[in-house]
Amino acid sequence: MNVIIGRYVPSNSVIHRMDPRAKLLAMFIYAASVFFANNGVTYAMLTAFLFILLLLLRVPFSFILKGLRPVLWIVLFTFLLHAFLTKEGATLYQIGELAIYEGGLQKGVFISLRFLLLIAMTTWLTISTTPVEVTDAVESIFGPLKRFRVPVHELALMMSISLRFIPTLMEETEKMIKAQAARGVDFYGGPFGERIKAMTALLIPLFIHAFKRAEELAIAMEARGYRGGEGRTKYRLLTWGSIDTWLLASTVGVTILLLLFRA
Amino acid sequence: MKQLVLSVENLSFQYLGQPNEAVRNVTFHVYKGDWVAIVGHNGSGKSTVAKLLIGLLKPKHGEIRLFDTVLNEATVWQLRRRMGIVFQNPDNQFVGTTVQDDVAFALENNGIPREEMVERVQAAIRQVGMEAFLLKEPHHLSGGQKQRVALAGILALRPDLIILDEATSMLDPKGKQEVLEALIDLRKKQQMTILSITHDLEEAVQADKIIVMNEGEIVANGTPSDVFSLGEKLAEFRLDLPFVMKIKKELQQTGIPLSVHSATIEELVDELWTLYLNK
Repeated sequence: MNVIIGRYVPSNSVIHRMDPRAKLLAMFIYAASVFFANNGVTYAMLTAFLFILLLLLRVPFSFILKGLRPVLWIVLFTFLLHAFLTKEGATLYQIGELAIYEGGLQKGVFISLRFLLLIAMTTWLTISTTPVEVTDAVESIFGPLKRFRVPVHELALMMSISLRFIPTLMEETEKMIKAQAARGVDFYGGPFGERIKAMTALLIPLFIHAFKRAEELAIAMEARGYRGGEGRTKYRLLTWGSIDTWLLASTVGVTILLLLFRA
Repeated sequence: MKQLVLSVENLSFQYLGQPNEAVRNVTFHVYKGDWVAIVGHNGSGKSTVAKLLIGLLKPKHGEIRLFDTVLNEATVWQLRRRMGIVFQNPDNQFVGTTVQDDVAFALENNGIPREEMVERVQAAIRQVGMEAFLLKEPHHLSGGQKQRVALAGILALRPDLIILDEATSMLDPKGKQEVLEALIDLRKKQQMTILSITHDLEEAVQADKIIVMNEGEIVANGTPSDVFSLGEKLAEFRLDLPFVMKIKKELQQTGIPLSVHSATIEELVDELWTLYLNK
């Protein structure tokens, strides 16, 4: 649960109050521009920009580090891979057969940094934006695709209903584990094959319940007049302020500078 | 004469592949400001009536009318806007991610402009006493609170009729009490018309009129005291007498001359102390 929704950290910072569309677009532009950086200056620019954005979050730095932790191993692994396998420039260290070259070290640092910047930027978005806001933003940004018969509204509604039911289903799973354990099912002990079998005693009732829920929910939605996206109004309002334009403009600005300074 | 809100005439329905009709020749009327309860045990056809009323099932015979509008395929969406239903399971009818989103759901579906929507959502949430929970997510609410939110979602539509389909049967006693109090309050302050479908006779005591269903048919119809005075016959329909009625019956058996009319605790207590004083 913590992985999916627990990342949002409530706060009243400038970033938190921004339009989720602006944040989502800024994230996309930033993520794309990260791939164009190829020298020290450009990476420094991207890092500095992200650092400012993270500072504006007004959230303890430990929360941001928590978001980065799961990928640290991958970052370290790619760093070592590049450091040892790229054979460019002067030799820095020589340990027996293995040698580290200047080019390899540089490439390793850049690639790891690229990873970290991407993850930190998505963390910046998820810390400051609730999943529902992200859904609204997606629906609004991709809205024009409705003309090409892309079911944007339906997809967004599916997303928001799934988000709403995650805690409900988690609760039900917990209850089911206890109920089946009380009947003698052992989920944690025994050989691997046995444990897999035990899982069916959990998954089958869980799926049956989920389908029943879906059916009842569909009936309830219809009874409350749901007939698809046509002619629907929206309660949640997205408001685009000057601060949102500023965010987008500065992101685009950084991208342009980056394109000018790249090697 | 009170205004007729809902009229159901000779309603029949048969599920596909079932030998008998689930609902047979059901006729009843609901007047403005009334609270009517349809009671019956499981499989008596009462829930089928609810589904027929909001057009989820199509009747075999008969007619359902809300004011002057007959329910059919052309009017079903218009009528769903004018009557709201609260279902049994509190979780499976909560669509929104927060309380206010859920209350707004039916309004969004009906294309109500946003400014009006905000106003109506606030008012509806106040009516059920949930204003402190506006931004809460459903998993932080109790069953009774979720059902009150469902009720608010319907009130926001400003309906002519509220239908409750076993709305309190999955709740604990406290939740049940919360929902009942909200309903009693609504009726007192706004003359809301309520049709509650239940197997709980304690809930039915609140109604002005009780309709008893058994095997798809209406077998009794009248005020709570009329219906409860049937006594033994109710057991035949597999309905359990409310606590007050049980006490009354025991008292009568010990030779205390109680009338047949008292149905609530207050009425019974009044009768008892009058009897004691007159002795």
